[in-house]
Order: sequence, then structure tokens, then C-alpha cells
Amino acid sequence: MTASSALGSRAVRRAPQRGPRWSLLRRRGAPYLFIAPFLAIFALFSVYPLIFTLRLSFTNWHGAGTAEWVGWGNYTYLLTNPGFWSSLGNSAVLWLLIVPVQVVIGLLAAVLLNSARIRMRGFYRTAFIVPFVTPLVAIAQIWVVVFDQNYGPVNDVLGFFGIPDIGWLTTSEWAKPTLALLFLWKTTGFAIIILLSGLQSIDSSLYEAASLDGATRTRQLVSITVPLVRRTLMFLVVLQTLAVFQMFAEPYVVTKGGPYSSTTTAGLFLYNHITRADLGTGAANSFLLVIIVLVLSLFFVRMLRTKD
Amino acid sequence: MTTAITRRRRPVASQLFLILLTLVFLSPVVWAIVSSFKPAADIIRDPLGFDPSLFNFDNFERMFGDVPLGSGFMNTAIVLVLKGSLTLFFAPLAGYAFAKYDFPFKNILFGTVLVTLMLPTIVLIIPLLLEMKEFGWVNTYQALVLPGSIDAFAIFWMRQVIAAVPDELLDAARVDGCGEFGIYWRVVVPVIRPGIAGLAVLTVMNIYNDFVWPVVVTTNDRMQTLQVVLSTLAQNITGNTIGADYATVTGELLAASSIALIPLLVIFILLQKHFINGILAGSIKG
Repeated sequence: MTASSALGSRAVRRAPQRGPRWSLLRRRGAPYLFIAPFLAIFALFSVYPLIFTLRLSFTNWHGAGTAEWVGWGNYTYLLTNPGFWSSLGNSAVLWLLIVPVQVVIGLLAAVLLNSARIRMRGFYRTAFIVPFVTPLVAIAQIWVVVFDQNYGPVNDVLGFFGIPDIGWLTTSEWAKPTLALLFLWKTTGFAIIILLSGLQSIDSSLYEAASLDGATRTRQLVSITVPLVRRTLMFLVVLQTLAVFQMFAEPYVVTKGGPYSSTTTAGLFLYNHITRADLGTGAANSFLLVIIVLVLSLFFVRMLRTKD
Repeated sequence: MTTAITRRRRPVASQLFLILLTLVFLSPVVWAIVSSFKPAADIIRDPLGFDPSLFNFDNFERMFGDVPLGSGFMNTAIVLVLKGSLTLFFAPLAGYAFAKYDFPFKNILFGTVLVTLMLPTIVLIIPLLLEMKEFGWVNTYQALVLPGSIDAFAIFWMRQVIAAVPDELLDAARVDGCGEFGIYWRVVVPVIRPGIAGLAVLTVMNIYNDFVWPVVVTTNDRMQTLQVVLSTLAQNITGNTIGADYATVTGELLAASSIALIPLLVIFILLQKHFINGILAGSIKG
């Protein structure tokens, strides 16, 4: 009954267009065509290398000859290697120096940029994002010059206040903070814009109600703003955790991992296997790093997830 | 009375905080650009000195004589155009398919895309490099352009943006006899233009600033991109391979860095509204 009426209606409609079956076919087929170029690139340059790396991580291979299967050998080698743990430790210290500072400064600046009482908000927004746009290599090199112990302008300014020269990049206690400062300088503007996008979705009537109830601005920040931008904060913290643990180009250009390996980050330690052509160990290190980053990300997602 | 005072005082503290932040964010860039015009010896002797009458182009001239910055610029421009077009044309298209169509394995596929977002780029470097060697692509433009184009982040972002386009708009176009690509091109693209503009700025920035992949896949200095050429200058400063003194190398370094900064700063200042609005439109809310 329904089948015959459907057939009937199709017969009628066939004349003007090429028919509903054709249009349905086109509609079904279209998404495949749309994702095909992406899929080709994705399969060739992401999925295939990923599977290759996984296999490589169980072998001992130096880029030539046949790979020797070593099972979990690379993994146990790394897990018992003090260098691996100290690279993770260095990244963890950098994380502590970077993420909490960025969240506090970023949130404060974003709240101010979202407030109608502040003038020149457009100017600040532009000024803050400038570091994010600058090429990292150029900035990293400028950092080398600016923080030079003998000739850099930073020590010049500090000297004006009677503070003796600091070995920003040449002592192991200052190298990490100097690197953290570079990362903060480069990405905090972006963090501010991300947080601003979260703030802009908060209903302003909430603040009006709170003001009427006599809540101070600090109180409003703690009780309304922070809980409501939780998801944005979570997004930011996860993003920066990924970035900090993968950090590579900054120490590569600025400190080469020194002094005394104090800035050999997890990302740089991984890269060092590649430069030594120790490819199996490098691959295993990659997966250990991915697992650590995944666990950390899930931890932050859980911690910051809204209770409801 | 007290509330009136605190209300009036607080914006002053806030303005001070913002001005301080602006100074911190802008001073290294301004210092580097200004210093690059100073005589090399003065950069070191008096880093904060400012005497426009001494400004000259010596650092730039010496730098261009020492490193192939011109060919670096050229290579970056070629990669930028090719890789940028690929990403900007195909990423929104794929994002559209993920946002507005149902097809088998869609969710598994999109899940895979999200997982690759979490992978450190360095993870794929070894096998990618071997793949390039297999293809004979080391030191070629294909190697600089294809891997990393139409990237997972662009797909993810465009899916988010396109999901917000109402389905009624698409159905109306379909009723009017619009083909599937026609719907995308004539209906979806005009609506999501701010998002695409944001993606464009971010893509240009990422390609221009990309360092890790180009440094691995180009060994011939005629194929090196701007950032790789720049990083070799830094090695000059530590290894001093060109046999110059510290002041000269520093001057060259600042000249090269300033030249590398300027194109992106100009693009950004011209397009900053699109970029910031693009991030504001595309990121996760609340």
C-alpha cells in the first residue's frame, strides 16, 4: 500500500527533476566526497605513521638494516632511565611555573577586558595578542639576547636598581624560570582571548542580581565568574598541559637543554633520541609521553568538570 | 561614601595592571626592532641607549650577506600559498560533512581526529621522515606542504562553527534545487565567513612559524624556510661558525628576527578583528 503510493509519487515527480532516488544518492554520496581529500592526507600522513611508530617502539632500530624485535625492552629501558624521569620532572616544574600563573593573570585580564568600565579595550586586546603572533624562533632568539648575563637589557635594568647580574640562561636555577617566562609571554595573550570568549557567554543579569544582593566585585568573581567559565578554564588548562609537556622548540633554540640538562624538557629528551638515530627508543618515548599527557588531561577534565 | 571611593579607585588599579601587561608584552618586540637599527657594538655596550642619529642598515646588510634569508622568505611564501589553500579549502568542507551529514563510521572517524589532536607532533616525526625518504621527497616542496595540511584542529574548529548554522537554511536551499556542493558554497560559506577568516589567520600564522617539521625535512639550505634559516643564525651565536664577534652576530640576529616579525605583525594588525572574532566564535563556550 505505502510502497505503491511511494512508487506512484516518484513516477509523477520524475519528469521535472532527475528523481528523488538520484537526489538521495547525491545526498548520501556527498559527505564522502567532502571528506575524501582530508581522509587521504589523514591516512597517509597521520594514521600510517602512527601505526608505524607503534610497531617501531617494540624494536631496536637505528634507521638502517633490519629492525630487531625487543618486545617491551625500550619501554623498560626508559622507565628505569633517570634521564627520562628528570625530563618529566623538568616539564612538571615548568608546568607549575606556567599554568597557575597564566590562569590567574589570564582570568584577571579577561575580566577587565570584559568590563565596560575599562577604556581602550580594543587596544589592549590587540597588544596582548601580538606575542602570540610572533614567530617563536625569532622570539626565542630575542630572548637569548635580552636575557644575556653580560650584555642583555634585563640585567641592565636590574643593575639600575642595584641588583647584581643574574645568569638567566647560564645557571640551572634560573634557566627554567626564564624559559617559563618565554612561554608565558608568548601564550598568555591567547589564553586571555580564550577566557574572554567564555566570559562573554555569561548572562549579565546574574551580576546585576548579585550587585543588588550586595555582593562585592571580588565576591562576584569567585562565586559567579569562576564557576561559569569552568569549561573554558578546563579547555585552557588541558591545551596548555599538552603544550608544556610537548615543549620543544623553546629549549631547543634558547638553552639546548642546558645548563646541566636543567631545561631538557620531555619533548626535547624525545627529540634527542631522534638525533642519535635511536629510533626505537624514540618511538617508545613518544607513546609514554602520549599516555602521560592523556592521563593528565583526563585528570584536569575530571577535576574541573561541573558537578551537574 | 566608602563604596563611592573604592568604585572610583578600582579602575585606576585595573588600568595600571593592563598598562603594565601591555609593556611586558610589547617591550621585547619593540626593543628588538629598534636595536636592529643600532650599530652592532652599541647593542651590547648600551642595550637601552636610544640615539636615532646613529641608526643605519649595517646589521641588515651583513645578515643578508651571511645567511640565505631571501630564499628562506621565498620558500616560506611558496609553502604558505600551497599549504594554506589546501587547508582553507578542504578543512571547512570536511567540517561541513562532519557537522551536517550522517554517514557510517562518522563518529569513529571524528573520534580518531580528536585523538590525533592530543598527539605530540614529534611522535610522528620519525615515521614521517622515513616515509619522505621512501617517496624521495626529502628537500622538496611536497614534503613541506602535504604533511600537516588540512589538520585535525582545523577540521575540529570548522565542525564547531558549521554546527551552529541552522539546518532550515540548508533544507530551504535543497528545496530550491541546490546541489550538495552548491549548498556548501552558496549557503554555508557566506554564513561562516568570520570563522573561516579566523582559521585563515591562524593557519597563516602556524605555517609561517612552523619550525620542527621544516628543520627535519630540509637538509639543503636552498630549501630551508625562513624559521630554519633564522635558527641557524642562533647556532652562529653559540658556535660562532661565521667567525664574527659576539656584537656582530647579535646585530645580525636582531635584524633577521625583526624582518621575520614584521610581515606577520602587519597581516595580524590588518586582520586582527577577524582573528579575535574568529576565536571568540569558534571556541568552547561557558
